[in-house]
Amino acid sequence: MSNDDYEMESMLEIFNHETEEMLEQLDNILLESERAKSITEENINSIFRITHTIKGSAAMMNLHSISSLAHSVEDVFYILRENPTKLSLVFSSIFDLVFQASDFFRKELEGLQSGEYSEGDPTEIIKRLEQQADIIKGEDSSDTSVGSGAPQKSPQPSHEPAGDGDAAKITVFFENDCGMENIRAFMLLNQVHPYCEELSSIPSDPENDSSLSEEIIKSGFTIIFKPTESLDDVVKIIESSLNVKSYEILQNRQTEDTSPASCPQAAEADEHSVKGVAAEAVGSQSKPETQSVLTKGVKQNLISVNQNKLDHLMDLVGEIVTAESMVARNPDLKGLRLDSFTKSIRELRKLTDELQDIVMSIRMVPLQGTFYKMDRIVRDMCKKMDKKAELITEGGDTEVDKTINDAIVDPLMHMIRNSMDHAIEAPEERIALGKPEVGQITLSAKNTGGEISITLSDDGRGLDCEKLLGKAKANGLLTKPEGSYTEKEIFNLILLPGFSTNTDVTEFSGRGVGMDVVKKNIEQVGGTISISSEKGAGTTFIIKIPLTLAIVDGMNIAVGDSTFTLPITAIRQSFKISDESEIIHNTDGSEMIVLRGECFPIIRLRDLYSIESGVEDVMDGIIIQVDHGNSGYCIFADELIGEYQVVVKPFPIFLNKYDLKNRGLSGCSVLGDGSISLIIDVNNLKTD
Amino acid sequence: MTNSVSETKKIEGLDDRYLLFSIDGAYYGLPLAMALEILTIQHITRLPCVSPYIKGIINLRGKVIPVLDVRAKLGIPECGYDSKTCIIVIDLHDMYIGLIVDMVSEVLTVSQDQIIPPPRNSASYISSVTQLEDKLVLNLDCEAFFQNDLEQNRI
Repeated sequence: MSNDDYEMESMLEIFNHETEEMLEQLDNILLESERAKSITEENINSIFRITHTIKGSAAMMNLHSISSLAHSVEDVFYILRENPTKLSLVFSSIFDLVFQASDFFRKELEGLQSGEYSEGDPTEIIKRLEQQADIIKGEDSSDTSVGSGAPQKSPQPSHEPAGDGDAAKITVFFENDCGMENIRAFMLLNQVHPYCEELSSIPSDPENDSSLSEEIIKSGFTIIFKPTESLDDVVKIIESSLNVKSYEILQNRQTEDTSPASCPQAAEADEHSVKGVAAEAVGSQSKPETQSVLTKGVKQNLISVNQNKLDHLMDLVGEIVTAESMVARNPDLKGLRLDSFTKSIRELRKLTDELQDIVMSIRMVPLQGTFYKMDRIVRDMCKKMDKKAELITEGGDTEVDKTINDAIVDPLMHMIRNSMDHAIEAPEERIALGKPEVGQITLSAKNTGGEISITLSDDGRGLDCEKLLGKAKANGLLTKPEGSYTEKEIFNLILLPGFSTNTDVTEFSGRGVGMDVVKKNIEQVGGTISISSEKGAGTTFIIKIPLTLAIVDGMNIAVGDSTFTLPITAIRQSFKISDESEIIHNTDGSEMIVLRGECFPIIRLRDLYSIESGVEDVMDGIIIQVDHGNSGYCIFADELIGEYQVVVKPFPIFLNKYDLKNRGLSGCSVLGDGSISLIIDVNNLKTD
Repeated sequence: MTNSVSETKKIEGLDDRYLLFSIDGAYYGLPLAMALEILTIQHITRLPCVSPYIKGIINLRGKVIPVLDVRAKLGIPECGYDSKTCIIVIDLHDMYIGLIVDMVSEVLTVSQDQIIPPPRNSASYISSVTQLEDKLVLNLDCEAFFQNDLEQNRI
């Protein structure tokens, strides 16, 4: 990677991004197929396509380790495609190998991203893949048919340019010393493919043979095609392609006469120079498919954006929403009849709503990707540890902010490893205990109004209070007499730093990371973790993370001269009390109210936040019932002001020390009139 | 709403200029480079569960800024706010903080020979004293002034 570092860098980014996505897809297909104990033809084709694309782009990026491994995976699946019946022979080993390959790719990508890239050595995996390929082929009586069949197919019929008058011929010259001319030529072919019919090139199949580079440098790369729309489209693409120095358009029918002749020649030249016959067949066979994949890529039009820019955009949209309500609820307009104004405002509101939705959606990613990763871990650990377990995921379509998604991957991974390692028993033990042989780990996510709740539960051993206490004691973590610890407190001991001191470092657990790190990671994104467990029956971890929904629909309520905002999603109902006897007074001074046979505590914001003014008589104010976990409670305020969309702003860092979050205030927001309301965090207002 | 009397940006050459304000008859100086803006007193949204000298938060063109009363912070009995009361918005380590002061008096260019070290037993947040013809100005070291607010800040 010498010439154009900047260009290379951005190309590298795209390469990383695309390859990562494809690897994810690959893992999904593999997991799905392995579970189904068979691979559908469609899936074989997909795997084949994915590896082929990775191979192509890796070769272009000069990443030989990736491209060669991708190549051998591709080979195996090519042979499999031809002989689907042979799959059973290699079923389990092939999956292991492909998973290994996908891990290898990932590691390489990580290396590339960190900037300290050192090429890994895939020869071991390649060797084993080749062995598998041999097994499949070895059983194949018509072993040679793969080899001999290929050349017959390889001079693609489409390479014969039809004698049509529209056929055009363009010779492209690449910039001097740009390197990898053959691959660039191949990319160019792919780029123009959607715009032409009967595309062929001299030399043909440039991607398979780097020795063709010289030929391309010397006499240029010629493509012969029939444009579907107009010639200009194709020319534009060629113009905009990287490293193209010059091109000549030769729309001449006579010259075509030479091309059919030179085409097969070039193709033949290929065949001799490429290592394996099977490989060659793959190369030429797959070409139309790769093209279709790349066409898809073009349509998707991905663009990677700096997250800071997105944050800024989000802020701006927030300002617009505020400004909009400043205009719409401007006090100057009070009492005026403004039919057309109202209409326009409504239109504006609709647009800002839409704008806001889109900006939010840009930042949101579904958890499914993370869940798939966990699936993979469970699978690998089952194999390695001879345990049987399955991961059941629910709510993978729950969307969370990208930053949150990134922040929970590591903790989740660690917790799943723990579950597999410590909680799920060996199959024999499970049978002896009368449990189903296959252990179950459930990972579910759901959006519970302003919060995302991720539950990880297993049906394993469960936590043993006595053992935990003993261990904590040994590590000197107990701060009060042993006997006075409640069950919940004991469970929470495992979250303390210094608790996990496993000396036996296994491949999976014991990487020096304890649950304390998990807790820290989760807290960093403002989340909490809670544990419940039953000895012998399993453990459940519940992670709760606030959605960074920067804009919420809120109900503004007044208490004295302060304004508070309650997220609409949390409100169950609001009502006035007509009879004071409905209120039950507790001995400790707290108040409760019975609604539909259930008892709810009442929290007076006025007292909680010691606000000097405000309604005291319960009959004068308003009671708002809010949801909190499985039950709820009631908030007593002076009055409802109205429903607003508010932009959540965090409190200034200067105030961090006061930990307002744990006082039930999640942030503040600027209202239309420029004043500030405090946003109530329903989940933290009431301390259990 | 936000009525900015003057707005200053960090410009080179502001080093020897000080913004003077008075609290309870005494004059204090702030490096002008730190001051972003001076606002007249406005509605402050009260916050629960904070130190009494933190008066709450204000909205400065969409930015939420904590405001604290320098009087209360210095332990001087508070008095009501009037038309002379100002909020000086300063930038401390990229945090914007509003300081409520009795009155902003002037911006002064101070030469080095006018600055003398603080009296030995003075508070740690007085970095130096400027000697003017008719008065003494106590120059605030904001870092030290807010030390107890900052030290427990978890990042």
